[in-house]
Amino acid sequence: MEILTFGEATHLVARTGLGAEWESIRRLEGKARPEAIEQVLNPPASPVKAAPAMTPWYTLEPMRLTDAQNRKRAWMVAQGEGKRLQGWWVEQILATRDPFTERMTLFWHNHFTSSIQKTLQPSLLHKQNLLLRQHALGNFAELLHAIAKDPAMLVYLDGYQNTKSSPNENFARELLELFTLGRGHYSEADVKAAAKAFTGWGVDNRNGQFTFRADQHDGGRVSFLGKSGNFDGDDIIKILLEHPRIAEQISEKFWRNFVNNGTPDAAVIKTWAQAFRSSGYDIKALMRAVLNSDAFWAANNRGALIKLPVEILLGTVRMIPYPRQPTVELVNLCRLLGQELFDPPNVRGWRGGEYWISTQTLLVRTSYLTKLSRGDLNQKVETGLRLPQAPPEQLVEWMLPVRPIQPLPDIPGDRRLVRALLLDPAFQVV
Amino acid sequence: MKRRDFLRLATALPFMGLLPSWASAKGGTGQRILVLVKLAGGNDGLNTLIPHADPLYYQLRPTVAIPQHQVLDIGQGMGLNPYLQALKPLWDAGQMAWVQGVGYPQGDLSHFRSNDIWETASNASEYLNDGWLARAVSPQAGLHGIIMGDQMGPLAGKDCHALAMQSPQVFLSQVSLVEDIQPVRVNPALAHLTNIQHQLYGAGQQIGSKLQRPAPLGVNFATSEIGRDLESVAKMIVSGVDALAYLVTLDGFDTHVNQNVTQSNLLHHLAGGLDSFAQAMKRAGRWDDVLVVTYSEFGRRAQENHGKGTDHGTASVQLVLGGKVRGGIYGDAPRLNALDSDGNPHHTVDFRQVYGTVAQRWLGQSNPWAKFGTLPFV
Repeated sequence: MEILTFGEATHLVARTGLGAEWESIRRLEGKARPEAIEQVLNPPASPVKAAPAMTPWYTLEPMRLTDAQNRKRAWMVAQGEGKRLQGWWVEQILATRDPFTERMTLFWHNHFTSSIQKTLQPSLLHKQNLLLRQHALGNFAELLHAIAKDPAMLVYLDGYQNTKSSPNENFARELLELFTLGRGHYSEADVKAAAKAFTGWGVDNRNGQFTFRADQHDGGRVSFLGKSGNFDGDDIIKILLEHPRIAEQISEKFWRNFVNNGTPDAAVIKTWAQAFRSSGYDIKALMRAVLNSDAFWAANNRGALIKLPVEILLGTVRMIPYPRQPTVELVNLCRLLGQELFDPPNVRGWRGGEYWISTQTLLVRTSYLTKLSRGDLNQKVETGLRLPQAPPEQLVEWMLPVRPIQPLPDIPGDRRLVRALLLDPAFQVV
Repeated sequence: MKRRDFLRLATALPFMGLLPSWASAKGGTGQRILVLVKLAGGNDGLNTLIPHADPLYYQLRPTVAIPQHQVLDIGQGMGLNPYLQALKPLWDAGQMAWVQGVGYPQGDLSHFRSNDIWETASNASEYLNDGWLARAVSPQAGLHGIIMGDQMGPLAGKDCHALAMQSPQVFLSQVSLVEDIQPVRVNPALAHLTNIQHQLYGAGQQIGSKLQRPAPLGVNFATSEIGRDLESVAKMIVSGVDALAYLVTLDGFDTHVNQNVTQSNLLHHLAGGLDSFAQAMKRAGRWDDVLVVTYSEFGRRAQENHGKGTDHGTASVQLVLGGKVRGGIYGDAPRLNALDSDGNPHHTVDFRQVYGTVAQRWLGQSNPWAKFGTLPFV
């Protein structure tokens, strides 16, 4: 039975949480690996912060449809509330006792993308976030069915404008290309057939809920991925879920999020996809396969992932109790680092990996970490900063997944050491 | 001889006498530079380069149209918005080109999406990660570009060596926190990180040393944001910072309501800033090395709305300035009598033809958009 060392426990916490939190590491250290993994997969319940006040869909949407002046007002409202919603998630990530769920919610937000800028409906994005959160570690098949009926998604990918008389293929196309199969596994005719099957799915103007408008649904016979019938949207999703490619596609995305930013190993993906499919799309089953795989633990995959902007901004202060920046400033920093919550750059989501780091973002990352850790480094001065009581070698192992790139300070002192580690390039990876 | 050719000759001569003697010796020997000016929000092309001879223009825009007697005629039935007055001498000198009817098929009416399309040179249905300039310029030792602002836009790209800054001063204070590092190969992530950090440090050193004793510009720029940004760009160019491209942004062109107040003000700031910039470049003998190109995510609806404004449109105009520019109007005027189902004119020039021209004919780089052809504006 393999027992987790401090370093292995750190790796597990840092990759599944947001920040390598000392207490969490200590809880897993010395446990058998499967037991530690089960503990990660079954996080403690943690409350979700109350939503900020947001104008409901049924008020905002009619405003946009009247005249230019009202449209401008609706736009202003959406911008202001959008910022508040971003602040809501930032605060949730900072406060939660369950960072794994936040990470997985962010993962699904980057898979089933929607944006406050395209929809201009922050309240719908909040609702979508709750949906992603609910299914974050649940069942992918249920999540897929639910997201197709999610109002923010219906607006974001124009599904609510997809009607019998004027079909809109946007959602159908992204469903096949990005959410499930990926290019090369379907034809243009499949896109058209799926779009037809989804006609009539919309958002109720009175309450902002999903609605099926039978009069706008095209019930004609279509042929989709080799099957034909009088399909509706749910039928399309059921057929998709029978396709083996979905499990592989999601497994590959897990690889790029949990193993390294490079090309996934085809053989490993096969076994993960197998575990995922045979479990009936249980997300925990897939995650279990990932966390138990040799690839996850391999020495050459340590430090092979560039930290997400939220890991740098929020994970760092979860990990080390530096005084945190005001929420508005953190929201702004997310933007400067290229990860605006609720506003991915396009339907593909954040490209991530090496794309997180440009001269511009590295400058902002460095400035932020410098600012966090500034202050008197003289050990004799009381600053109120509580660092873990541990020997220097262990602090290095805690903070960096690989050996430091820069030489460490000659002068002893935890605060000085931690600051040097924070500013080491190896702190940017996990 | 066309009227503008005559004016070009007439005004070019006195200018030469005004140049300091060292300018001509230095002129043309420097690296070629591109200065992009982003007019964010969707600038109304029809009220920028005005088809004042077209009665349809006045029919479609009873309150928003610029009265004919105010338009600065430049021939071919077209004229400049009066608030671009400060730039008129550049037209007369043959150093101003307009490309009209610029757009792309299936124009997207979302600011964000259309901006992405413009900045990545994608099709309307395609999502690309890298900016168009990042794709067009080949790797080089120095800087690819400097952005005044915080979004990398056309210079976004993993391997594109560009900096974004609020101002050179703020950048220098931030970059002083960055330590130099020798790139490592522990893994691809750290190789990329340390390589970028090494570049960043180098850029900080370069800009710091070049701006330590900045060459005086001898021109007073307006204190508007665009004025200050263009002044910073001018300082960096004159001081010898080796960036290939600069990007400055003027925001606020989303004129749904009371358009003329807003747009006049913005165009006035734009013209003032660019006029000062052109003068600074001439004084330094760099005007022949600089090409200024504007862009905006889209133009606006041909017909005005009920709020004395215009809604999101498609095809628009791009302004090109520089000592080596071949003055004139390029591309066909979009036809106001053949609008699409949204009420927008069809584009006559694909924006990638402009990019291809800039990449190939100005920067001497490969042209990823060769299939769209080039325009002889430079």
